[in-house]
Amino acid sequence: MLKKFASVRFTLSILLFLSILFAGYSIYYKVRYWGFNFVPKQNADVWTVEAHISFEPNGDPIKVSLTTPAKSDEFKILEENIIASGYTVKKDENTSRLLLTAPKLKKTQDIYYRVMLFDNIDSRGKTKAPKPNAPKKPIFEEQRMAVSKQIIDMAKKENGDDVAQIIRFLNKVPLEPIVQSYLPMQKTPRDMVETISDLLAIKGIPSRMVRGFKLEENKKSLAPDLMIEAYMDNVWKTYNIETGDKGLPENFVVFQRGGDALIDVEGGNNSTIRFSVLKSIASSMSLANKRAKLADNKSWYDYSIYNLPLAEQNTLKWLSIFPLAILIIVLMRNVVGLQTMGTFTPMLLAMALVKTGFWSGLLCFALIVGVGLAIRFWLSRLNLLMVPRISSVVIIVIIMMQFLTVIGYQFKYDVALSAVFFPIIIMAWIIERASITWEEDGAVNAGKEIVNSLFVAVITYFIISSEYIRHIMFAFEELNLVILFIVMLLGTYTGYRLLELKRFKPLVKE
Amino acid sequence: MFKKFFSSFASPKKLREAGILCMNSRNYDVIFKNNQRRLYPLVDNKVLTKKLANEIGINTPGLIGKIDHQHEVKNILDIISGYKEFVIKPAQGSGGKGVLVITDYENEVFTTASGRHISYAEVYQHISNILSGLYSLGGKYDSAVIEELVHFSDIFKDYSYQGVPDVRIIVYKGFPAMAMTRLPTKESGGRANLHQGAVGVGLDITTGKALRGVVRNMPVAIQPDTGADLMQIQVPYWREHLIIGSKAYEMTGLGYLGADIVLDAFRGPMMLELNARPGLAIQIANGIGLANRLKEIDTYPSGLTPEERVDYVMKKAAK
Ligand SMILES: Nc1ncnc2c1ncn2[C@@H]1O[C@H](COP(=O)(O)OP(=O)(O)O)[C@@H](O)[C@H]1O
Ligand SMILES: [Mg+2]
Repeated sequence: MLKKFASVRFTLSILLFLSILFAGYSIYYKVRYWGFNFVPKQNADVWTVEAHISFEPNGDPIKVSLTTPAKSDEFKILEENIIASGYTVKKDENTSRLLLTAPKLKKTQDIYYRVMLFDNIDSRGKTKAPKPNAPKKPIFEEQRMAVSKQIIDMAKKENGDDVAQIIRFLNKVPLEPIVQSYLPMQKTPRDMVETISDLLAIKGIPSRMVRGFKLEENKKSLAPDLMIEAYMDNVWKTYNIETGDKGLPENFVVFQRGGDALIDVEGGNNSTIRFSVLKSIASSMSLANKRAKLADNKSWYDYSIYNLPLAEQNTLKWLSIFPLAILIIVLMRNVVGLQTMGTFTPMLLAMALVKTGFWSGLLCFALIVGVGLAIRFWLSRLNLLMVPRISSVVIIVIIMMQFLTVIGYQFKYDVALSAVFFPIIIMAWIIERASITWEEDGAVNAGKEIVNSLFVAVITYFIISSEYIRHIMFAFEELNLVILFIVMLLGTYTGYRLLELKRFKPLVKE
Repeated sequence: MFKKFFSSFASPKKLREAGILCMNSRNYDVIFKNNQRRLYPLVDNKVLTKKLANEIGINTPGLIGKIDHQHEVKNILDIISGYKEFVIKPAQGSGGKGVLVITDYENEVFTTASGRHISYAEVYQHISNILSGLYSLGGKYDSAVIEELVHFSDIFKDYSYQGVPDVRIIVYKGFPAMAMTRLPTKESGGRANLHQGAVGVGLDITTGKALRGVVRNMPVAIQPDTGADLMQIQVPYWREHLIIGSKAYEMTGLGYLGADIVLDAFRGPMMLELNARPGLAIQIANGIGLANRLKEIDTYPSGLTPEERVDYVMKKAAK
């Protein structure tokens, strides 16, 4: 007999081990290839940038070359498409330029290029980048070089790091006389970038131009904004070319790096390029979907829950925390030895607390149970039969919830509003159980039962209300398999419960 | 402070050495292996238990009648006609819930054990409540049992506050393994339930003599309400008590059971009820771990009659 149980335990241990291996691999896979995170980053910025190119053909064969964003760790292209009928499209992977060619055409040409970007802002400025080649020093005549050096010297008085100092010095209001003569009269942002770049090159700091878009609502067509990136301390840092502020502004998406022309058109005149930008907040999960497709893991991913519609995902998200809550209940009962009212009551209470918020939930719970108990005592004097009596309690609980909600709404007590989230039947049973225990074993025991149940509920609450844990349990649902085997193994745990160590203490002689 | 906190816990190692049986192990190692689920109804239903006990020759309070359905409740007066005293209780109750002890009955006036007079209507209502499942586990429909009153022997009178003490014997594979008597106190409301504050007194399994007493896990030497010296307790007819427990094994087939026995002044020890999952507090009352006892009994011979098993235990354990 004993052997049989030992072998059950053995089998379960093996299964647990296998499930851990499986979960481990699966988690690794999701992190590595689907880009899942351990920390919940609820939303990631996904940008759709559309370039609208138009020009008049001049009768020659047409050749259009268009810059597109280059891939990098911080910067992923999720989807890219081009609408250009009649053109052959080629992409040069090295320079990431699109080459469109077409024979002679007549009408005004409209080409649309659309790219969906995932700009991983979090990792910007943190990802180590390989050191670029030393910047080419600008070839200046002697006097200009001298002025450049003087500017660099004078800039040292400004705030910030080397780059910020130079930018700030160049942008001083009123303009420093030395700068005034140094910069062109009608300076464009591009001139600014180039000037800064030159000065940085003299100092030996590599830099590059950045084109991007600042998202502004109600603005359809945009010209790219320019910024400058300088390579410092092994990472590329972005600077505003007017203020010298470091870092990417909010709602700014980088489209291209380096100073290459955005567009070259051969065989056409009056070419224009207009951009429109759209930012959408995508959950990391739906993003993962796209990334998985990019990574050619389609078949695998299509069967996972992340491919479901969002509403279903939300339900599943809620469900996938249950096993952990159940594990806590099992631990509390079979390892700690706390007796609670009903096996899963604490779990359901914890779920309710998540929805109501902690303190308002507790207050509401106390209110419902307290008033419910008072009424239940009056009921017990009437000697009602069992089913009608418990049914009355259920109805009383419902009436109380209605009352609290209406009152809560009228007087704007959010606390009362949370009443509706408590499971009615569970509340009724708690009241019924507590009153029976009260009558039979006294108020102390009844109180103890309620407190025990609440205690377990609160612990469960703190675990399941953690965004972090919720995220992990949802993103890596294979952990539930591990939990299953842990729970089953606990089913063979025959050791002492924590509270039994106290209970049986009088039995060991010192 | 921490030290004090920790010192209120025993080390698992020490408990294991002392052979203390814990809840998980009781459920897993003892009950799963020795008690088949399908046998539970035999002990959960007092009518069935009584019937089986009669067949095998275990003394129980005689059955006067039984009411299964609401429309039969009005027959109660016919059922009890000719009886002056009786007990009405739920067939599947537990913990003394819904037990109505009538010590005097005349002209539709009922006197309860506590001396209260109640009317026919109240008795009628009480039976209805029993039938509706008010006192049974999970609120299942139940039947009401009407049985003869036990005239408790006066021997324990000094040891209990109101109520009636009983003897609980743990029987393992048919061998009496451990025993205690439960004495009602003021705190327990006259009921013989340890968790409500009744005194538990461990009994020497070979002699029925008191070993030590506890209230709520704490050792006591005297009955808190009457002041009687617990160490003086010696349960009479001890061998008969053990034989009832031992026979319950043949009767039910349960390898691990608890038998609740009361002493009737005229008819001797009588079995009140059996329990398929008796609790572990008996270890505290005895100051002895149950696991070691069960292990020892595993080495006892099989194929003995109930009487032989009792004698075996009385001789073997006495050494
Ligand atoms: N026939 C009886 N005569 C006198 N008292 C009884 C009788 N039956 C039960 N009682 C009293 O009721 C208590 C509980 O009865 P019991 O049969 O053990 O029911 P339960 O399963 O609810 O514990 C006993 O401890 C005893 O005090
Ligand atoms: Mg009993």
